[in-house]
Amino acid sequence: MWRMAGTGDRGEIAVELRGVSRRFRLHHETRTSFQDWFVGLLRPRGKGEEFWALRDVSFTLRRGESLGVLGRNGAGKSTLLKLVTRVLEPTSGEIIVNGRTHAMLELGAGFHPELSGRDNVYLNGSIYGFSRRQMAERFDRIVQFAELERFIDTPVKHYSLGMFMRLGFSIAVHLDPDILVIDEVLSVGDAAFQRKGYQALRDLKARGTTILFVSHWPELVREFCDRAILLQDGRLIDNGPVDAVAAHYERMLQEQPTDAEILRLRAVDEAGTVLEAVPSGSDLRIEALLRVPPNGAEGLLLALDLYDREGTHLFGNTGRLADIMSHTSQGDAAAQRVQAVIRGLPVAPTTLTVAATLQRPSEAGLAVVDRQETEIEVFAPWSAQERGLLRLEHIWESEPGAAARRERTGPRVEIER
Amino acid sequence: MASQAVEIIQYRSLLRNLVAKDLKVRYKNSALGFVWSLLHPLLLMVVFTFVFTQLLDQDTPAFPVFVLTALLPWHWTSTAVTAGTASLVDNAPLINKVYFPRILLPISTVLSTGANYVLGLPALFLFMALFDRAFTPWLVFVPVLVVIQAIFLTAVVLILAPLNVYFRDTTVLVDVGLTAWFFMTPIFYSIEWVVPHLAAWMYRINPMAAIVSEYRVIMYSGGVPDPLFTGRTGVTALVLLAIGYLVFTRLNRNLGEHL
Repeated sequence: MWRMAGTGDRGEIAVELRGVSRRFRLHHETRTSFQDWFVGLLRPRGKGEEFWALRDVSFTLRRGESLGVLGRNGAGKSTLLKLVTRVLEPTSGEIIVNGRTHAMLELGAGFHPELSGRDNVYLNGSIYGFSRRQMAERFDRIVQFAELERFIDTPVKHYSLGMFMRLGFSIAVHLDPDILVIDEVLSVGDAAFQRKGYQALRDLKARGTTILFVSHWPELVREFCDRAILLQDGRLIDNGPVDAVAAHYERMLQEQPTDAEILRLRAVDEAGTVLEAVPSGSDLRIEALLRVPPNGAEGLLLALDLYDREGTHLFGNTGRLADIMSHTSQGDAAAQRVQAVIRGLPVAPTTLTVAATLQRPSEAGLAVVDRQETEIEVFAPWSAQERGLLRLEHIWESEPGAAARRERTGPRVEIER
Repeated sequence: MASQAVEIIQYRSLLRNLVAKDLKVRYKNSALGFVWSLLHPLLLMVVFTFVFTQLLDQDTPAFPVFVLTALLPWHWTSTAVTAGTASLVDNAPLINKVYFPRILLPISTVLSTGANYVLGLPALFLFMALFDRAFTPWLVFVPVLVVIQAIFLTAVVLILAPLNVYFRDTTVLVDVGLTAWFFMTPIFYSIEWVVPHLAAWMYRINPMAAIVSEYRVIMYSGGVPDPLFTGRTGVTALVLLAIGYLVFTRLNRNLGEHL
């Protein structure tokens, strides 16, 4: 049922949720391999812990209207968006969507690093069901808006983060959706592009696009939305004019201050795939998913510690969370992703325990706010007879000074690799 | 089911783009990249030819053509099954962000590896010419076999791809399974060398045995394909596709939660 929403259609329903609930089984309780499944046959476990991300949510969104979704982290905002955009199915209840929906959940989702910007525009368009011809009509406008004329035939792996986001944003606003779902993606690029981005959204709104805007910044919601709903622990607790709901939300924030927490800690590769084992000597990338309330990073410290199998403390470092977060890209606002990269992990094969600790200085020293640990297997990529805790880069020289000469001619030659 | 078919047609440009993406990434936009993709079957052809004609003194004429007619379609099968099984897990970030018919991901891997196979056929024709094999009019029958094989492979990956989401060690089992399947398919041997009552079972259980044998009849023996036999294989493939589709739609429902 695709129809352009014009002003004449005002009053018609664009999105309607009727008693929608969504349940999740907590991940550590699910079996993810045949191995676990066979073990499970022998040792049955409980049904698994359940978690209701949304409970009995109902609201309607009329054509041309813009609705803000407010709520604290974990209140169910992201789940709501995924239900509206069909990424997830509701456990119960009904969702009715009239018109073409486009979600700006993560800019550049679906870009392939090896492909050029041009190819990615067409690929991305087709992910949203647009034909090659429809994309060709929009192509010049997309490139111009993203200010990428010179780089459009360059593989996107060479793009800066800003360029990447600009292209993603530009594609999103040029697909002329009836219903646009936005999850705080506007802190894209430099200030000039941000202004341009907000202006593009205002234009879309003026043209009658229905907008579902998720944020935990009440000011932004006030600026963009006519109405708002407020979620708490998966339930809809307020629905009305934006000023009233935003005020309700602000009161709620003042009453119950929240603290930051570490949602997840794990080793990943450059593409973000989770690794359980890394070869010694390679780069170790540790990713922490943090939930930090607005302005909640102030005064917090983030410590990273590495231990070996015996519990020997191999390394530790503490930094100010605000500094660490300033380097992160804006993505999912509910969860901030930070990565620590240890270049050429100089550790001999062991089971490495990595710990991330959020701390706050207090009179009594450092108070632990949250702590997560993960284990990573370090294995040997070579077959040498090396011993000890560390794996040090080394060379043998038969002639003193030979290495210095070799350095002038080329890279060092390492033995036993 | 009908609305889903409409949806897939609506998203046909996505299917085309996914296939194009696979090919571009695999070949890295270079001609050498394509030659590289043929390296694996050609190397196996050399090895099998050496083992069977030199070490074992087999007297099958034009052994390189004999084995390559089967190795090329097998290479399609093994790459399609491997990539298809991983297709949903590999695209988890995308699946969790955007709605689109997820069934297109495994289908696109079958098509892109299939395009790779078809593009490699000229290499086989080259060896056919070099070893003086007959080019009969029955070569027009090859596309029919390609379609049957594509249907069969789609059925297989529609089952394996969602299974891999629920059980991540599916890829390990698939790896082992493919090795066993390779030996159980008449690739470096002829179905005629198999004990007759077992050969019949081979055809029944393993559609790849039938498909590979038909390719070999046409492109190696210069013989006439059996339409009844091919028809039976085609029907088997279609039945499997229906089963694969049902399994996929069933398992697809809760996919988002497990990725």
